[in-house]
Amino acid sequence: MIDYKFMKKFIEIAGRLGAQRHLVAIRNGFVAIMPLIIAGSLAILLNNFPVFGNFNMVQLLNHIFGDGNWQIVGNSVWNGTFAILGILLSFSIPYYLAKSYELDELSVGLISVASYIMLIPITNDGGFSFAWTGAQGLFVAIFLSIIITELFRILMKNDRLVIRMPEGVPGGVAKSFAALLPALIILILVGLFQTLVTTLTDTSVFELIFILIQEPLQGLGNTLPAAILVAFLNHFLWFFGLHGTNILAGVIEPIYLPPIESNVDLFASGMSAYDVPYIVTKPFFDVFVYMGGAGTSIALIIAVIIVVRQEKKHPYREVSKLAVPAGIFNINEPIIFGIPIVLNPIFFIPFILGPVLLTITSYFALATGLVPKTVAFLPWTMPPFISGYIVTGGSWRGIILQMINLGISVLLYLPFVMAGVRALKIKLENNS
Amino acid sequence: MKRILLVCSAGMSTSMLVNKMDHAAEEKGLEIEIHAISEYDLNNHLQEVDVLLIAPQIRFLEDKIRKIADPMRIKVDIIDFSSYGMLQGDKILEQALHLIDA
Repeated sequence: MIDYKFMKKFIEIAGRLGAQRHLVAIRNGFVAIMPLIIAGSLAILLNNFPVFGNFNMVQLLNHIFGDGNWQIVGNSVWNGTFAILGILLSFSIPYYLAKSYELDELSVGLISVASYIMLIPITNDGGFSFAWTGAQGLFVAIFLSIIITELFRILMKNDRLVIRMPEGVPGGVAKSFAALLPALIILILVGLFQTLVTTLTDTSVFELIFILIQEPLQGLGNTLPAAILVAFLNHFLWFFGLHGTNILAGVIEPIYLPPIESNVDLFASGMSAYDVPYIVTKPFFDVFVYMGGAGTSIALIIAVIIVVRQEKKHPYREVSKLAVPAGIFNINEPIIFGIPIVLNPIFFIPFILGPVLLTITSYFALATGLVPKTVAFLPWTMPPFISGYIVTGGSWRGIILQMINLGISVLLYLPFVMAGVRALKIKLENNS
Repeated sequence: MKRILLVCSAGMSTSMLVNKMDHAAEEKGLEIEIHAISEYDLNNHLQEVDVLLIAPQIRFLEDKIRKIADPMRIKVDIIDFSSYGMLQGDKILEQALHLIDA
């Protein structure tokens, strides 16, 4: 039913995108800093712990330690993690990119951090603003990481620029000397660039890139059509058995991570989760759409359990049983390859349309203020219902939206599971 | 002792397989070490590996992975779709052993 040639071509293109060196480095750079980002977000959540009935942890701790004193802990964690997202990435991305070129990754990472700091606008009292060390500097970090690594690679090719140590000198020492001249040249170039931009345009590299590139992209990302496109592409890739999230991460993460930083930051400063600006964020997808993993596959498991009640040994039921423990944590490879969903025309519609539909319902639920927006960054493995509660800063409405979404998805899967069962029966009868 | 490495996107879904494969190896009375890792961490785990099995959802990384693994004489293959879905540790173990013998 699906054109074989088209499929091969598509997989080839997706594969090239998924293996593209710079995109892979960006993605790996993000993966590497995730533990810190999650720690920062959870620290803020603890500082603004939701009230349970009569139990108000924030008030209690304020009472014991004095107003806000205990929250300094969480705020410091935030400052050292999410608030320096840009700096962290300016190390982790070039680190992986350099590694892929077999360059000295430590040197490249350090030069890149140095360059990043060089470009940060200095405040009037001679300091840095967290605005530029954090998510607002994310695109600078990405561009810089790539440019610095490529420059370093080109410079290292020139033998006259590489200082070689005699044999017997320890490897670490030799490496630092080898990188000396290239580092010097790169830093001077960055300094010149900084001087040029600040004197000519009366602004900074950070402000320029933020206003010209990052802000428009973030604005675009926060619209419904963009959210639908993301959900669609991700599942279209998964339908071909390709890890959509993995392939798209290099593009998606830079666009959908800064909005959640904005939301969490404003939430931390006392703004209500209803009033924070961004609707579509990375956790928006993870929590409200990808429940049980891509394809909202927890809904598929439920649909199978509903449809196949009698036959305990039915293959669908067996797969679903296998898939439950991992599915709770949003890992769904068993069901995707086991049913299989992959390249199975019967499931094309619910698998792709379902998440698109949920993206729409979630978008409207958040946009109309029925449900609070996302104000916490969670590991994507956080099980549904817990995740809906936490991500909304402790609101039951987050869970209700998850339940409604799950219901929609189950309903959508039901007829297709029935069709799948019938098709399987016919196939087995023909075989025997 | 033979060492088998399974690789997927985050090293999570393949880690479910590890238990099943361990079990299958035990039944066969074979001493095999099996690990699951994330593809972004792959470079740090290739020492003394005999077989590297790639989860189907990241099969687009096959060429890239082979480029690293081939010079190290590590046998590489993509895990069979349906065995992967059904978490059939015995079948995937067989696939790995077959590669070692080949």
